[in-house]
Amino acid sequence: MNGVRADVISDLNRLMAEETEAFLRYFQMRFRLRGRGRRRAEKFFENALKETLEHAEALARQIQSLGHVPTLHVDLVLSGEPISAEEALAEAIDVEQQALDAYQEFLTRVTGDPVLEDFARKQVVIEAAHVQDIREALRQDPVFALVEKPTAGS
Amino acid sequence: METWKEFDANELTHSAAHHLLAIYGVGATYGGWARVSDIARRLDITRGSVSITLRALKRRGLVETDEHHMVKLSDTGQKAAQAVMAKRLIVKTFLSEVLGTPEPQADIDSCKIEHLISDETGERLARFTRLLTSGDPVAQAVLALFHSSHGDCPDDGNCEVCKGRCLAAELGRAI
Repeated sequence: MNGVRADVISDLNRLMAEETEAFLRYFQMRFRLRGRGRRRAEKFFENALKETLEHAEALARQIQSLGHVPTLHVDLVLSGEPISAEEALAEAIDVEQQALDAYQEFLTRVTGDPVLEDFARKQVVIEAAHVQDIREALRQDPVFALVEKPTAGS
Repeated sequence: METWKEFDANELTHSAAHHLLAIYGVGATYGGWARVSDIARRLDITRGSVSITLRALKRRGLVETDEHHMVKLSDTGQKAAQAVMAKRLIVKTFLSEVLGTPEPQADIDSCKIEHLISDETGERLARFTRLLTSGDPVAQAVLALFHSSHGDCPDDGNCEVCKGRCLAAELGRAI
């Protein structure tokens, strides 16, 4: 179909699942937050969930443009345990880092395909900036320095 | 602690046990190191989910990570994974060779139980299975008697197992 390998479509679907799951995780995380910095961390997760949804949408559009229908496999149960803002942000870094790693691996597999390579390269830049922003902010202050910055792509 | 609450307070959750086994399995060919992407593929979940579980496992000293985001079982994690695998095999052997549970079902049930039973119970179950499947004539006779029995309930409806109620009926099917 359009000369696109099935494994590339599978990769795109998997990336979409990563983004969609992150969206759900961030959506719910706002309600688990407790303690110092809660409100600002909520703001961070509000921005982050919008961004992850945009990324999921972009991936779905990409799959559609390649002549396929996106398929979504998400297997998620989210605990309602209270969580500190610092711990929540640390979890977010892990999730974002995994997204970055996934896009980087995807980039190596689509290098040479002008459309997909360009798409993957842009996502890598966005995710890398996002991870860097969170890391930098956490280095400066566990919570407060973080959420005033606009998130990448938002 | 009430027993049902122990399920939640269990040393390893079902998910954690499967993560340890996945790291063990993936890492077997790479000197113990596993990539998050391979763990995610093996468990058929997202890398994000794996990373969240790994945080908890790392905090408990069960896994180690390096600067390239590779994951490895710690010595404690290695022991925990081996204990889970041992219990799975013990339970599966008991179910299939003693109870006669068909192998696919024994696989599924042992997977559900493996991380829940204590080491002591696992060890006792191994001893019991070993005894019943040994060549000892008494053990062979007991096993043969069990396999030839159809579990018919006593006419008066009372037995030492059910103690006044029919547990077989409560399981939703006749034995």
